[in-house]
Amino acid sequence: MFEEASEVLENMLKWSLPLSLVLFLVLVCPLRAEAAHEFSVYRMQQYDLQGQTYGSRNAILNTEARTMEAEVLSRRCVMMRLADFSYEKYQKALQQSAGAVVIILPQNMSTMPQDIVQQFMELETELLATETIVPVYFALEDEELLSIYTQTQISSSSQGSSSAAEVLLHTATANGFQMVTSGAQSKAVSDWAITSLEGRLTGAGGEDLPTIVLVAHYDSFGVAPWLSYGADSNGSGVAILLELARLFSRLYSYKRTHAGYNLLFFLSGGGKFNYQGTKRWLEDNLDHTDSSLLQDNVAFVLCLDTLGNSDNLHLHVSKPPKEGNPQHVLLKELETVAAHQHPDLKFSMVHKKINLADDTLAWEHERFGIRRLPAFTLSHLESHRSPARHSIMDMRSVSSSLEGAGEATAGPHVDLPKLSRNTKVIAETLARVIYNLTEKGVSGDLQIFTEQMQVQEDQLESLVDWLTAQPRAAQLVDKDSSIVNTLEYYLNRYLKDVKRHLVRADKRDPEFVFYDQLKQTMNAYRVKPAIFDLLLAFCIASYLGVLYLAIQNFGLLYSFLRRVTAPRVKQH
Amino acid sequence: MTLFHFGNCLSLAYFPYFIAYKCSGLSEYNAFWRCVQAGATYLFVQLCKVSEPFGPHKDVSNEFMKATVDLADLLGLHLVMSRNAGKGEYKIMVAAMGWATAELIMSRCIPLWVGARGIEFDWKYIQMSFDSNISLVHYIAMAAVVWMFTRYDLPKSFRLPVTILLGLCVYKGFLMELFVHVFLLGSWMALLVKAVLTGAISLCSLFLFVTLVHSN
Repeated sequence: MFEEASEVLENMLKWSLPLSLVLFLVLVCPLRAEAAHEFSVYRMQQYDLQGQTYGSRNAILNTEARTMEAEVLSRRCVMMRLADFSYEKYQKALQQSAGAVVIILPQNMSTMPQDIVQQFMELETELLATETIVPVYFALEDEELLSIYTQTQISSSSQGSSSAAEVLLHTATANGFQMVTSGAQSKAVSDWAITSLEGRLTGAGGEDLPTIVLVAHYDSFGVAPWLSYGADSNGSGVAILLELARLFSRLYSYKRTHAGYNLLFFLSGGGKFNYQGTKRWLEDNLDHTDSSLLQDNVAFVLCLDTLGNSDNLHLHVSKPPKEGNPQHVLLKELETVAAHQHPDLKFSMVHKKINLADDTLAWEHERFGIRRLPAFTLSHLESHRSPARHSIMDMRSVSSSLEGAGEATAGPHVDLPKLSRNTKVIAETLARVIYNLTEKGVSGDLQIFTEQMQVQEDQLESLVDWLTAQPRAAQLVDKDSSIVNTLEYYLNRYLKDVKRHLVRADKRDPEFVFYDQLKQTMNAYRVKPAIFDLLLAFCIASYLGVLYLAIQNFGLLYSFLRRVTAPRVKQH
Repeated sequence: MTLFHFGNCLSLAYFPYFIAYKCSGLSEYNAFWRCVQAGATYLFVQLCKVSEPFGPHKDVSNEFMKATVDLADLLGLHLVMSRNAGKGEYKIMVAAMGWATAELIMSRCIPLWVGARGIEFDWKYIQMSFDSNISLVHYIAMAAVVWMFTRYDLPKSFRLPVTILLGLCVYKGFLMELFVHVFLLGSWMALLVKAVLTGAISLCSLFLFVTLVHSN
């Protein structure tokens, strides 16, 4: 009986062993391949503004890589370097229905020559103007990515050529790359809140004082939200506004210098998306509240937009101010200060009527103008269409101490001495207005903000550095973000009644819609073409054939050795 | 096509074993179950080796110690061969086939399954499969040398060469790593050197084997 049992057991084991092995293999091993290279990619903007869609619609990717030299681009991921990028190439890729476009940017933008940077900035607006279903990504270049690009370029350019033998050799040696993104398809972000902050300094003496409003939008914009640092536009505006808050709160803390004007400071969000923050703030203050500073007696509204560079200063108006108005006083004081204290500064007024037929408003002051509040925008840019306002090239430049002051950074950036000078000009002008200095006969040369009250350049520098340390695109700054919290904290140090103001898009007819999946991880896998596997199978089959023959004829070797050893034995 | 690639690698690794099994006449002796037993012994020996921990530092002396532990392999082979009755060649082949197949399954199947099936292509899987072929030859040679070492009728003049070959077999891994480290060989070159080394060892052991068997 035992023998039968042991036989049965033996048979069972005989069959279960391979089965269990297979089962083990199948269960234990999920497929987790290691990529040749993994890197972050930043997607192009995707948003709807007032019903109009902009940007790239798609986010998922799983295609082979090619460069522009290849003939067939359809359903492939086209890789381009910034230095070789041009709009025609981009259009060509889109026309051939490429699967995706990846634009490789250098790690350090300051190494790029001026003309390429300029060209790219102009292209940014064109890229966004055409809505496309092709996902467009930006990646920062590193060694491995560069080597992937070079290899892809070589294999792409050799595709058209050659004889069958070359093709065969090519398939064996070359590497193709498969680009795969992690993450899902992009979808609209529901219930996104754009935050704006306000704070005030109340004037001295009684009710019904005139109010001066200072506004700057703190968000930035570029072709890729995660890469928009917005140093000059509008990090400079925010830095100036915060520095003015500090200076005037100091002045207002002494009874002798407490002026008879209310100062209202407003940091608006969603500025680059047609000034959504400002729009809702105005609606709330003018339509939904009984009393607000904005309703009673507004002297003027001064918007600060891109003031970090250049020796030009423009005051943009929608209606030239008439004599005797506080607005006119401001204009005159600006001219006085510029002429007497900063002769290198070229100041001028630019008049542009509000055009309601345009898709978006030009400057922030137009929002106030529509609600019949007198407003200006101060900027060193002459036109609101300047590409410097919407560019990812707008970055905190590498400090001039590194390469010597002669090296100009190619793109828009913040020049600290000029930022500081502009801050001083605005501060002096506002002081002259609120203390009525010209009427009192004070000369244009008198500088108020000196010594202890001077504009602190280090303060400005640290503000700009902090602002440009992270991207500030409106889609990335939600109400809990550290940027908003830090700004609120800063305002709380100097101003009273600091309040948050949220804007959410209307459910049924949203003014703005943001989409997610703006930053993804892309994996580049080394792949071989299908024909390679066939070739390999053929080689292996022939190898096995040779091996089979060798083993069959192993006996020959054996008898050969016998014959070799045999005479030796005989010689004993 | 990646499953295809996995199939390629697996066939490259496994078919020589199959061919050797068929052509050496083992199938006529119903040696399958005995080969499995040899494989089980391999597993047992590996477990014993694993339970001997060494220091964490990866330096020359540690590697040498680790290689010395491979002497347990020899003991295992000897154990398998002593339990099988039959001619010398039969014993050697059974032990070597079972041992090498077990090693193939344990140490190569899983990396191939996980790696060769993926999207990413790497030459190392083909190299791994070649390596398993070389291992087969290596284990046959090793089994032959062990068998010769334990023969009571081994002539005195053979003792020394057999011992040297035995040592080479055990420390082959160590020697290979040394070569790669010193000469900074690429992966294909290392494979070639390994093949040449194994070929040399197996030729010598074959020579000695033939002499021994046919000198009587």
